[in-house]
Amino acid sequence: MVPVNDLQEMYRDMVTARHYEERLQEEYLEGKQPAFDISAGPIPGELHLSAGQEAAGAGVCQHLRDDDTVTAPHRPHHVAIAKGVDLKRMTAEIFGRETGLGKGKGGHMHLFDPDVNFACSGIIAEGCPPAAGAGLAAKKRNTDSVGVAFLGEGAIAQGAFLESLNFAAAHDLPVVFVIEDNDWAISMPKERVIDVEDGAKRADGFDMPGVRVDQDDAAAIYEAADEAIGRARDRNGPTVMEVQVHRRMGHFMGDPESYRTGEDQEAAQGRDSIVRLEEDLRAHGIDDETIDDLRDEAHERVEEAIEWAKEQPEPEPEDAYEDMWVNPPSGVTDSEPDYDLAGGDD
Amino acid sequence: MSGDTDRVEVTLDKWPDDADSDEGVVVNWFAREGADVEAEESLCEVQIEKVSVDVLAPTDGTLAEIVCGEDDEFERGDTLAWVEP
Amino acid sequence: MSQQTQKVERDLTMSRAMVEAIAEEMRDNEEVFYMGEDVADYGGIFDSTEGLREEFGYDRVMDVPISETAYLGAAVGAAQAGMRPIAELMFVDFFGVAMDQIYNQMAKNTYMSGGNVSVPMVLTAAVGGTYNDAAQHSQTLYGTFAHVPGMKVVVPSTAYDAKGLMHNAIRDDDPVVYMFHKRLMGIGWLPAPDGPKTPVPKEDYTIPFGSADVKREGEDATIVTLGLHVHRALEAAESLAEDGISAEVIDLRSLVPLDTETIVDSVEKTGKLVVVDEDYRSYGVTGEIVASVADESLAALDSVERVALPDVPIPYSRPMEQEVVPDADDIAAAVERTQE
Repeated sequence: MVPVNDLQEMYRDMVTARHYEERLQEEYLEGKQPAFDISAGPIPGELHLSAGQEAAGAGVCQHLRDDDTVTAPHRPHHVAIAKGVDLKRMTAEIFGRETGLGKGKGGHMHLFDPDVNFACSGIIAEGCPPAAGAGLAAKKRNTDSVGVAFLGEGAIAQGAFLESLNFAAAHDLPVVFVIEDNDWAISMPKERVIDVEDGAKRADGFDMPGVRVDQDDAAAIYEAADEAIGRARDRNGPTVMEVQVHRRMGHFMGDPESYRTGEDQEAAQGRDSIVRLEEDLRAHGIDDETIDDLRDEAHERVEEAIEWAKEQPEPEPEDAYEDMWVNPPSGVTDSEPDYDLAGGDD
Repeated sequence: MSGDTDRVEVTLDKWPDDADSDEGVVVNWFAREGADVEAEESLCEVQIEKVSVDVLAPTDGTLAEIVCGEDDEFERGDTLAWVEP
Repeated sequence: MSQQTQKVERDLTMSRAMVEAIAEEMRDNEEVFYMGEDVADYGGIFDSTEGLREEFGYDRVMDVPISETAYLGAAVGAAQAGMRPIAELMFVDFFGVAMDQIYNQMAKNTYMSGGNVSVPMVLTAAVGGTYNDAAQHSQTLYGTFAHVPGMKVVVPSTAYDAKGLMHNAIRDDDPVVYMFHKRLMGIGWLPAPDGPKTPVPKEDYTIPFGSADVKREGEDATIVTLGLHVHRALEAAESLAEDGISAEVIDLRSLVPLDTETIVDSVEKTGKLVVVDEDYRSYGVTGEIVASVADESLAALDSVERVALPDVPIPYSRPMEQEVVPDADDIAAAVERTQE
């Protein structure tokens, strides 16, 4: 049974994420008409929106603290929101502004928020090793924080994922691998490129439990994540979770999805985990007014973040040369000591 | 001597099914005015919303005139060019 | 009896020219096949296989799992068995997860076997930035691939070159890395400059590797470059001509083997060498070209300019990306400096 407070917080995170992605889609498409030019407009470059996958972020991150580490892939916003990433600075980063999380250097696929230990990366499955590393650090320092890696169902084909499983199992690390199965690796349907129907079966080869959550259901994801994260916190090792979600929009903005049948897209639209969670809330006695309030708050928060971001200054061109190093290039020292190294023959 | 009455118009035969818009943009011309073209050959490429579609020559002949050049916008049914068979 | 050749004058985008070559080779030889991510139904994220699946089916235009090391390595194995695979890196930046199969297997097996084994494959890769795809999706990495011995490396800048180089690449029994710039392909959502779309003969033809192409003749300075920057250099040359400076633009077309002769001939004529590269400045193409010319004809070198990406990861935000990627103005300014 999911505590009703948690249900409400997950709902809030999920409608925040959904509204955020819908608004970003609008902002993104601005300036890109009539012919779609990817480098035009206020948000240039690629944009991978997570509409339809909100339950995965919310259901898992509801159990996480700021000192738990999360890595996410190129479709990160719903996870970032659920993890508590600074929404204004994240939005400013997506808009390429100076006060963004990465000062405009990373963009939407490379969001880093050290305050809540969140990072995402554009290379498939490459968030897995660092998540295992966070677990390694926690274990060495004897804390009970955990590492969680999010990845897509296509990413279980990638070496970094498989190596991370072995590494986490061999070293008994407090890590959870969360596979978001939206059935599509860009245009490649899962059955064409993945050997199994249930990605959680990967765990079978690696001495750790694997669990699949089938129903695009935030409450069910919450329950499975409770167990997996609990195991990790109790120092009982890693887990693989695969959760079914669906992709409501294209792989990236600009993707006409001509490879996807109308039925598939319609079926996806019909499986809205937000609608399902609303039903759960009502079943727990939450009234419509409260639900509406949660939604309104979420919308307001998103609007505020976007407005704030759009007012932020753009970086100066010369800023491109900064932030290469933390230390000056010469390291901790400017000069060498003066030893007489000549002589000394024995 | 053949007159203009023989000219065959070049249009996009099949508008994309899932396109909401009735407008498109010509993004690339492949054949040049005056060039010989074959039936079914790709004459140009247009973009409607985010979908790219090839426009094919309706018949063998010469590409007599380009009406919509690169970057020009057009509407569903517009003549994009003329081919003289 | 004289043959009536059907002369069709047409221009093609770089992607269509590349695909035309691949299709022709696939019709000609059953053992040629294409493997990559999203190459079947999608036609390649950057249009590299547009229409091929429709003609050749899912077996010969294979979607692969997101497993670069496995499928690039599989291409090596299939090639060693005598087939002629074309394997694609969706973004060259993804080479990291598969570099061993590329530089330790594909590139070295011929040599390590004393020539007893060959790897007749083509590794295609989409390269380049200028559309805000940030540090992990905007690189060219020309230097990285040219540096390790054992693979031929070609970089077409026009449709005409793309087709000829691809025919040669597929027919060559050695591994060839074929790097195509995303902005030159002629993709609807990534508009190309005017240059890459050129007339392309319908028949097949080959362009030899190690043959640079003088894209514009000039007397006052030699600009050596490749890929997107061939077009930026041509733009710069236009504006320099208005100021009375005549710049020669050499398109390398091939990094390995490198056509040093054409470059040296030009520098011996002009005395001024400007190398333009969309890869990082240090330890890369610009240094290599300057050193190669210095090696052969030091006395001819009056002045040298290196125009390249600075040694920083490519930033996302527009003003910063524009700052680090050289444009026509940067190239023209460099040429002007050589004239001082």
